[in-house]
Amino acid sequence: MGSILKDVELKENIPTTILFAKHIEFLIDYGQQKDTYETVMTDYLKMSGMYWCLTALELIKASPFPKNDVVEFIKSCQDPECGGISASTNHDPHLLYTLSAVQILCLYDSLDAIDVEAVTKYVASLQQPDGSFAGDKWGEIDTRFSFCAIATLSLIKKLDVINVDKAVEFVKSCMNFDGGFGSRPQSESHAGLIYCCIAFLSITGRLDIVNRDNLAWWLCERQLPSGGLNGRPEKLPDVCYSWWVLSSLAILGRLHWIDKNALKKYILACQDLESGGFADRPGDMPDPYHTLFGLAALSLLGQESIEKVNAAFCMPQSVIDRLQIQPQMLK
Amino acid sequence: MHGRLKVRTTEEQRLLKEKENQKKLVAYKQGMAFILSTRKKDSYDPEAFAVSSQILHANPHIYTLWNYRKESILLEIENYKDKEEELVKFLEKELDFTEQCILSSPKCYSSWYHRYWVLKNHPVPNWEKEFKLCAKYLSVDDRNLHCWDYRRLILNKTGLCLEKELEFSTERLNANFSNYSSWHYRSTLRTLDVESLEKELNLVQSAVFTDPYDTSAWFYFRWILNHKEILEEKLQEVLESLKQLEELEPDCKCILMAKCWIMDTLYVKDEDQKDDINEFYQKLKQLDPLRKTRYEDAIKQKNS
Repeated sequence: MGSILKDVELKENIPTTILFAKHIEFLIDYGQQKDTYETVMTDYLKMSGMYWCLTALELIKASPFPKNDVVEFIKSCQDPECGGISASTNHDPHLLYTLSAVQILCLYDSLDAIDVEAVTKYVASLQQPDGSFAGDKWGEIDTRFSFCAIATLSLIKKLDVINVDKAVEFVKSCMNFDGGFGSRPQSESHAGLIYCCIAFLSITGRLDIVNRDNLAWWLCERQLPSGGLNGRPEKLPDVCYSWWVLSSLAILGRLHWIDKNALKKYILACQDLESGGFADRPGDMPDPYHTLFGLAALSLLGQESIEKVNAAFCMPQSVIDRLQIQPQMLK
Repeated sequence: MHGRLKVRTTEEQRLLKEKENQKKLVAYKQGMAFILSTRKKDSYDPEAFAVSSQILHANPHIYTLWNYRKESILLEIENYKDKEEELVKFLEKELDFTEQCILSSPKCYSSWYHRYWVLKNHPVPNWEKEFKLCAKYLSVDDRNLHCWDYRRLILNKTGLCLEKELEFSTERLNANFSNYSSWHYRSTLRTLDVESLEKELNLVQSAVFTDPYDTSAWFYFRWILNHKEILEEKLQEVLESLKQLEELEPDCKCILMAKCWIMDTLYVKDEDQKDDINEFYQKLKQLDPLRKTRYEDAIKQKNS
């Protein structure tokens, strides 16, 4: 009797400190390799890639990219007709990349570089009668897009252009028997989507609808003996869930329900000693996505050498303070 | 990059790979440029459409190309307005193509959504066939969220036969009790009454007795136990059977936790039982040190 527990084993020779210099090198390298097959093939998410890299660099207090180039690139990605922003030039506008672009511009305090009014109209146009949001004009519905819409509008101070009550109603309809949330009504709970919905409710100040302790129990059960967190029951640990689970617990005021030292050890073990950057699991290929979420999770764990991160926006707290936004956080 | 193991390569291998990638890069750029140059509001180029198939086959995440195909499909629907047979042929080809993409990347949002979108625009969509497709992909990976979500979209179109779906979920659970996705699915199927509660309780109890260390079924168990219609004597019964299970598996935290849930409900004001529950939480702290503070919070709450 006894099922095989899905987990990884941490080896002896794993990194136990944060390799700051290596990570800076890794992130800059990533930003500079312009014309390789790998980078061109990920053009379809370039705007988010830039958000991951630039936010990670801000969190470790290094900001070596020329602001003008970044802002010019974002400007060139705003669609003159609909106002939405694309992943890269020659790609179509989408809510995912509209949020990434707005996040980067907030980081640089340069929102006025784009047509904010057009962004507002774009986001509002994607709300459906049931309160949900489509990701773009082709109509895919997902709570990820509810989060993107609310976060974007909150950052540009235009939350009043949509029906927030309806939007909350839709997110509430995606709540499950375990207290978690999925991508649509009756979709299975998943830590990434739980983050989207909890951060959404934090920004809209509606955490009252959450079954707090039921959900926090499900979330803290994500921690495995290796210290790492998985995103659903009986799945392998992954650094990005350090962020999705931990930020949700932080918003719910239950961060202390997991073992912080064990998680820290796992995240540090996912660093790449040679190239820098974090991978999903020790020994895998590092990438900017896991590098941001690894660093942001370490920040939530109280790592002093990393800037304080805001749990709802995954942006430096100083930026959220400057914008005078106060997402709801339970004590 | 999820689950991509870092592999050491020799200098020779690296150069070879680089050369190969350089060729692919040139082909990709030419292909994209060709497609974009022919992308118009009122017409599309079948040759460019074919090139987009090649690129998406290699990388189905390029959402812009799926958008381009949707535009082209809408034009074809207009073209074939009075020739349904030909339109169906065209759309069936598109469905076959999405299946190839799903097969090579079963976790790509864009390919699954595109398939659904094509069916929505199909004059005679065969929704039933889609259930077979889902069964196939769930047999490869019974936790694939994309496939479960897609199946739900199809159900919304066909309408749901409760009996059939309950049977489906029981089949999936019998195949694998440790499948959280199936437990979740079951939770969406019915509102529980006294009669169905009994049935569900029996099912989930047999699952946790089969493997008490598997956490999946315990979440469902808790949901059932929390139900307001559940009778007190039923809870007593479950508590007794948990005690028996505990004798066999004294170090299983889930059994202890379930005992705490039930006793918290049954003995809200009973001081004698309070010590027992405290003791269980103390033991849980030892058995499950990662969540020590959670149990401490529970003790505090109990004693406040």
